[in-house]
Amino acid sequence: MRFRFCGDLDCPDWVLAEISVLARISSVKLKLICAQVLRELLGETIDVSVPTGNHASSQASALAVMCASVLQYEKILKLTSDAKLESGDVKAAIAVLDFILSNAAKHNVDGESLSSELQQLGLPKEHATGLCRSYEEKQSSLQDSLRAGSLRLSRLDGVSWRVDYALSSSELQEVGEPLVHLLLRVRHREHGEPEAVPMAVSAEKFRVLLAELKQAQALMKTLL
Amino acid sequence: MLLVLSEEQKAHLGCLPRVGGAGLALSESWGTWRWSCCGAARRLRPVRRLPVRGKLNAGVDTVQHGVEGLMYLLTESSKLMISEMDFQDSIHVLGFSDELNKLLLQLYLDNRKEIRSILGELAPKLPSYHSLEWRLDVQLASRSLRQQIKPAVTMKLHLNDNEDLTTQVLQTDPSTLLHLIQQLEQALGEMKTNHCRRIARNMK
Repeated sequence: MRFRFCGDLDCPDWVLAEISVLARISSVKLKLICAQVLRELLGETIDVSVPTGNHASSQASALAVMCASVLQYEKILKLTSDAKLESGDVKAAIAVLDFILSNAAKHNVDGESLSSELQQLGLPKEHATGLCRSYEEKQSSLQDSLRAGSLRLSRLDGVSWRVDYALSSSELQEVGEPLVHLLLRVRHREHGEPEAVPMAVSAEKFRVLLAELKQAQALMKTLL
Repeated sequence: MLLVLSEEQKAHLGCLPRVGGAGLALSESWGTWRWSCCGAARRLRPVRRLPVRGKLNAGVDTVQHGVEGLMYLLTESSKLMISEMDFQDSIHVLGFSDELNKLLLQLYLDNRKEIRSILGELAPKLPSYHSLEWRLDVQLASRSLRQQIKPAVTMKLHLNDNEDLTTQVLQTDPSTLLHLIQQLEQALGEMKTNHCRRIARNMK
């Protein structure tokens, strides 16, 4: 059986097994859990107050994300508490929802097809329609966040520049040469420190560099 | 296969009959804990042995030597997987009482499996696969040539090297990638040949 949301491949066995767990939760609760999983996939934090300040901000936001995911898991636990599911089942339900939603966004499956394929796998109609409605609302933002998380070898964090004018040197008394100092900040790994690449460029070389980059920019504009 | 104990080890184990069976039980209980903690280092820290020393009424050095000797005896026996008869013959040379011999044998048989599983994890490991990220790009133009179409697949291989996460960036064109996939599928297919099946059957 080929499924579009699995990328035209067979559905994994564990997904088939855990869909029966999803069927045991009521469709209203399923929609709420779905909303929580979507929030986590989109990397949103729920209202946790984050202290502001330059040093603390990145660490604080990482901590807030961790707290948020713990709080979301506890929220989900509370929601499923009366469905009499074991903790292993709750984790399985979250994993299955994560798989279905992220794969559907990955393969650009619309809500209708997703709903019919889930019903083929044995999910009851109400559950499937509820799930697909939440999916459709967040489909484009999911795809945007997945696009941002795709493989990227390095990123330019920033450029600083300075123009100097050399008046005189030990070799020649009257030099009179302009010089551009460039500092490129390149980030190689997502959460690493950016690497600083300094360079000094003479006027002619800088003119050539600028002309080539402008040509590249024009090419990029034709594609957008 | 008999276990050969050097003179020094025999001297270490010589303290065991003095402390008797109770001492053996005590050293067993945290001796096994020691293995899982120290692993290859096999070093005993003096602080831990104080409570045992008090109960056994023996010097720190004696206790340390005794436990080290016991550890050596048990690890070597488990490593070589010697039979009961061989184990009994090996410790017979130490000249202990029958009761002590029986206790040692019981100790060996009870903990053999656990010791073997811990020893199995001490072997050096090659870096293992963690995950793979990939992207498909098309080069449209470069400084030297405009109007090109050059597809390329860029991959980032995440490896797990003894708890260290390392990454390797690889790039290939689609035809090499197809060749790679074909070679890997052929490698997987080798498992199904008669030769491999015969060996797998004989190993079970």
